[in-house]
Amino acid sequence: MSVTNQTPATQSTLKEQIREFIQVQLAEPKGIASFTDDESLMETGVIDSLGIFRLVSFLEEDLKVRVSDEEINAETLKSVNAIEELVIRKKK
Amino acid sequence: MAYILQQLLQKSAAQYPEKLAVWARGRSITYRELEQRSNQLAHLLRERGLRKGDRVGIYFPKCVESVIAMLGIVKAGGVYVPLDPQAPADRICYIIANCGIRILITREDKRRGLDHATLEALSLSLLIDAAAQSSNGSESLPWTILDEYPSDQAPKVVLTETDLAYILYTSGSTGRPKGVMLTHQNALTFIEWCAEIFKITSEDRLSNHAPLHFDLSVFDVYNTLEAGASLYMVTEDLALFPGKLNEFIESKGITIWYSVPSALTLLLLHSELNAEKLKQLRIILFAGEVFPMKYLQQLAELLPHLDLFNLYGPTETNVCTYYKVERERLASMDKLPIGIACENTEVFAVNDKNEVITRPGETGELYVRGPSVTYGYWADSEKTKRMVLPNTFQPNFEEKMYRTGDLVQLAEDGNYYFLGRRDSMIKSRGYRIELGEIESALLSHAAVKEAVAVAVPDDIVGNRIRAVVAFHDGEGLTAAELQQYCGARIPRYMIPEAIEFRPQLPKTSTGKVDRVQLAQEAAASTALVAS
Repeated sequence: MSVTNQTPATQSTLKEQIREFIQVQLAEPKGIASFTDDESLMETGVIDSLGIFRLVSFLEEDLKVRVSDEEINAETLKSVNAIEELVIRKKK
Repeated sequence: MAYILQQLLQKSAAQYPEKLAVWARGRSITYRELEQRSNQLAHLLRERGLRKGDRVGIYFPKCVESVIAMLGIVKAGGVYVPLDPQAPADRICYIIANCGIRILITREDKRRGLDHATLEALSLSLLIDAAAQSSNGSESLPWTILDEYPSDQAPKVVLTETDLAYILYTSGSTGRPKGVMLTHQNALTFIEWCAEIFKITSEDRLSNHAPLHFDLSVFDVYNTLEAGASLYMVTEDLALFPGKLNEFIESKGITIWYSVPSALTLLLLHSELNAEKLKQLRIILFAGEVFPMKYLQQLAELLPHLDLFNLYGPTETNVCTYYKVERERLASMDKLPIGIACENTEVFAVNDKNEVITRPGETGELYVRGPSVTYGYWADSEKTKRMVLPNTFQPNFEEKMYRTGDLVQLAEDGNYYFLGRRDSMIKSRGYRIELGEIESALLSHAAVKEAVAVAVPDDIVGNRIRAVVAFHDGEGLTAAELQQYCGARIPRYMIPEAIEFRPQLPKTSTGKVDRVQLAQEAAASTALVAS
């Protein structure tokens, strides 16, 4: 029971970290006020061609996950939720 | 010979009905389907009251329906207006009102973002994504309704090459975008020149990297149709990932690539460009901004088998000059020319004394005349008069010429070289940006007293934008709040990525804001951060 209680807590912290990075570093400088955890960050323009590289260095440097070239694609980095899933998978 | 754009499709559809015409997001349509679907759309538009010259908006992320929409609209005698699906709704609503769009081809989620007044003013929304029947404001119809209309031929509409085909909105210095009006002739003058010089055939596969509201896309779409070739659209799921994009060029067997240089730089720096894998690629064209020499040299070295061309021209003239990269000279060149005039286009440069320059080394502002030049800006005769002028350099008959605002130098080799702008327009990722439009957006906030946008040159994207702002006494906002405020007014690529606050802005001796000083400071502080 205590394990299942803990897992969501750690995940929400991770999600918050990802959200905050995207919000402050990528969305706000483009004047984008809000985005949902499910929304495609590419279609809405939150992530542009340079933003991709900043996002990848955030994942590698701040979250300490190694992202291969293969993993840098539109599915794995689609939304906040997708990025969270990628990080969780990589940390296992 | 074709004199209106839809004839390009008509000819290729007759010749290659089963050939793939357009591919996007994993879906494709043949020439037969494109011809039939656009006929159906044209019939629907006519039935819904569209008259010759009426504007129709295209507002959704690009897909095969984008090309059907463009062709269907011109077949109905209409004028299509591609709207940036990533632009703030406020800007889209402005454009819709500015050119009087009453019929909009869109997607339900995009439509929902428009304000009430805009929806009220629309007579019809055609939704590409569903059988969705929302009824908020204008009537909306699902795309599938096209099945009910005749597909074998387009409605009869009398058109000449001097009729408008499309309007492209670009940044305007007064704070609002301006609509460049382009005729069938403007586009075809360019397309016919391309067909000749690039020898495009039905075997070619063209990429479409640029968004459709950006004039580079005119090359991709209409050269494909002209030759009966195939068009492969690069959507955001590919464009943002150099590795994927590289794979796409290889797997689709792209033979002709056209984009802004920054897209090529990203491919060069972040993917493994390999001549063996990209052996089908025979031409790379680039335009929209200056290609940094070191990256062009690397690109040329990595891909020794293909031809590289630098194309130049503002939206108002399509492409007006070109330069074929001379590989043997490339290593010793420190700057790339914009080249010489395209066929059926004349360019000349005029100095401060209002004389046409003729000798190598002289500099002047570039002017363009010929059938590729726009009539001017939609519903803005003032701006049109300033930019599209009577040609006073020949006395025999009345005609117009376009002043580009670009300063150029004529070189020994006969080529023109781009030196800079006469005004405060800049380029970032190939987009034209008027710093004045950004400043207007900042100044429209009640708390802002003074605002200056500055461009900081950048190797990859051309320019990065920063702003310096002073508030009225007692007022204050964070950079994020101000960026968010701008986000509702101007496109993302125009929003300053950093905003600095000062009690007041430095002034020149004449009391004007000292832009030069601010630009130098911005460049210096960026260099500091980078190092």
